[in-house]
Amino acid sequence: MRAHRGIALALGLPWLLTFGLFWAFPMVYSLFMGFTDHQLLAKSFQWVGLDNYRALFRDPDFVSSLKNTFVFVLGTIPFTTVLSLAMALLVNRQFRGRGLFRAGYFLPSITSLVVISLIFTNLYSRGGYVALLAHVIGLTPPENGFLYDSGTALYAIMAMDVWMAVGYYMLIFLAGLKAIPEELYEAAEINGASPLRQFVSITLPMLRPVTLFIVVINSIKSFQIFTEMFVMTKGKFDTATTVYFIYDTGLTTQFKFGYASAAAYALFAIIGLFSLAQFILFRRRQEYSW
Amino acid sequence: MQKLLILIVTAVLTQSVARATTTLEWWQFWTDPDSRPTIQAIVDDFEKANPDIKVNITDLTWANGQEKIVIAFASGTGPDVVELGSDWIAQFAANGQLADISQRVIADSGNFQGWGLATYDGKVFGRPWILGTRVLFANEDLMRKAGYDTSFLPYNWPQLEQAAINIRHLGKDYYGWGSNTAEKHRLYKKFLPFFWSNGAQFFTDDNRYSIISSMKAIDALKFYKKLHDSAGFVGDQRSIEDAFLDGKIGFIISGDWLLKRIEVEKRKIDFKSGPIPGPKYPGKSFLGGEFLSINQASKNHDAALKFIAFVTSPENQLRFCKANRSANPSSLLAQQDPYFTGNPHLQAFIKQIKSAEHPPVDPHWVVIEDELEKAIEDALFGSRLPAQALRNAQTRITQARAKQ
Repeated sequence: MRAHRGIALALGLPWLLTFGLFWAFPMVYSLFMGFTDHQLLAKSFQWVGLDNYRALFRDPDFVSSLKNTFVFVLGTIPFTTVLSLAMALLVNRQFRGRGLFRAGYFLPSITSLVVISLIFTNLYSRGGYVALLAHVIGLTPPENGFLYDSGTALYAIMAMDVWMAVGYYMLIFLAGLKAIPEELYEAAEINGASPLRQFVSITLPMLRPVTLFIVVINSIKSFQIFTEMFVMTKGKFDTATTVYFIYDTGLTTQFKFGYASAAAYALFAIIGLFSLAQFILFRRRQEYSW
Repeated sequence: MQKLLILIVTAVLTQSVARATTTLEWWQFWTDPDSRPTIQAIVDDFEKANPDIKVNITDLTWANGQEKIVIAFASGTGPDVVELGSDWIAQFAANGQLADISQRVIADSGNFQGWGLATYDGKVFGRPWILGTRVLFANEDLMRKAGYDTSFLPYNWPQLEQAAINIRHLGKDYYGWGSNTAEKHRLYKKFLPFFWSNGAQFFTDDNRYSIISSMKAIDALKFYKKLHDSAGFVGDQRSIEDAFLDGKIGFIISGDWLLKRIEVEKRKIDFKSGPIPGPKYPGKSFLGGEFLSINQASKNHDAALKFIAFVTSPENQLRFCKANRSANPSSLLAQQDPYFTGNPHLQAFIKQIKSAEHPPVDPHWVVIEDELEKAIEDALFGSRLPAQALRNAQTRITQARAKQ
């Protein structure tokens, strides 16, 4: 028994060391750094308690990045969820070429985010395709392109993100749809329920756990959006998000590790609260089960 | 006995050779095909002239080189000699990471330009090597179409503004002025020529207070915004240069890399270059550059000093600039070479360097630059008036500098 425990420890050690060194220690140490005035180039740092956190919520840049992040999250989640469900319902039917549509919808999700960002930078530029479309339908696009205008830049990136994300969540909804017993629809049909009633009373309730999953992971991902801003706008034109703020403060402009760590943990807490609120909201009603 | 004697002699010789060789680590940024072989050749020549010193080159990129340098110095593993952009020197010097070479460069003080960029707290922390500035580029064809005599460029603000507007009115695809979008590290360098030309300053003469929102600064930003609004082609630096080379923009501010690009791409464009306009002629421009600094923690200060003096000597600067084709020497002697005096465009840069100013050498420069850039962005693209944007920047710069 004792020998087995030793062997078990020995076999688990490589993973434990890797986990401890590259995940657990950084997590704990950065929490500690959030309470210091650590700056990479400075010779020493000292404990400052909650000063970093107080300064954060007085920092116009951090507050602005939070606002942009919330606009991004609250603006993309509904569209992504509704569109991916709609697409899942469409490709859930039997029709010729269904596999092709499914693959096509999913393709953006497996394309490099940087590549997509660069392509959309061109689409959104002055004289780009989106500006051309705007002219065709009688609208006046921003003179310098959608990404060089504070009024449109964030929304342009949001639209791109919805386009990228729906395919992935469509697949998850598809899995959820296939898990709904066919008997329920047959019984409803026999009792004269219309397709709309079937959707509202059977499909939506049965998809609630899947919807919760999608909304939560999409929210967590969206709160941490960074690459699009880095490639397309460098955080300018009111597009700096919280992770971009952390990157800029901690890693490029000022190397303020302590302050950036505090910002990271503030974001962590906000994401945690947001997810908790979603769980509470979605679990309010009784779960259906056999 | 004989074997023992041979062994002892061998050991002594080996030890002598090992003890006589000094190794310098040099981190540098010139990795492009035109420059890198010349860097190696200069190092090879130095090693020939100094057989007891060996130099190891590490190449950095502009994308992540600064971060590597910061991390290396923070962890105590920095190189003996490092190339630094001029706006990085103060931050490293303030933390005691660079060697003070003031006493060793007094003899050279009158032979090179750019010392001010490497001087922090009254001490010199680097040798000026390559200097960079910006000049006005004009499309002569568009100037003629707008009715202007191309034998001279606009030399004050009203002339520049009027010429830019007239070119803008040539057609919807023509613009008078290349106006940078909110581009980090670039936008402020296009505004500062107007700021300094108008006599504005970052700080009071005693360096204590920020006065970035003085009336002179506000007027400069108002003028810059007027150019942007009335004649501006807004884009990043690359697209502005593309449009200029395509004959769409009348005036842009750019650097010597544009000359190299015109040459490399064999662009047929009728253009002129000259000093940036200002209330007084010639206007002022932005001055930056590359400096060679010595790590305070290095054990090879003397060898490092010898090395950086060699690399920055007039002949080696000239050699490097000819190979690179988009660099200006800090050496006054190199600047007088026919390579520069015989080319009107290169000469425009040499002349502009003499009336260029550099940003304050301040360890908080990264914050100052950031706040200035935000102020310009707010004025050009946001809803703030220039005066309010600059006042906000001044407040935040003052707060940042107060945190020591």
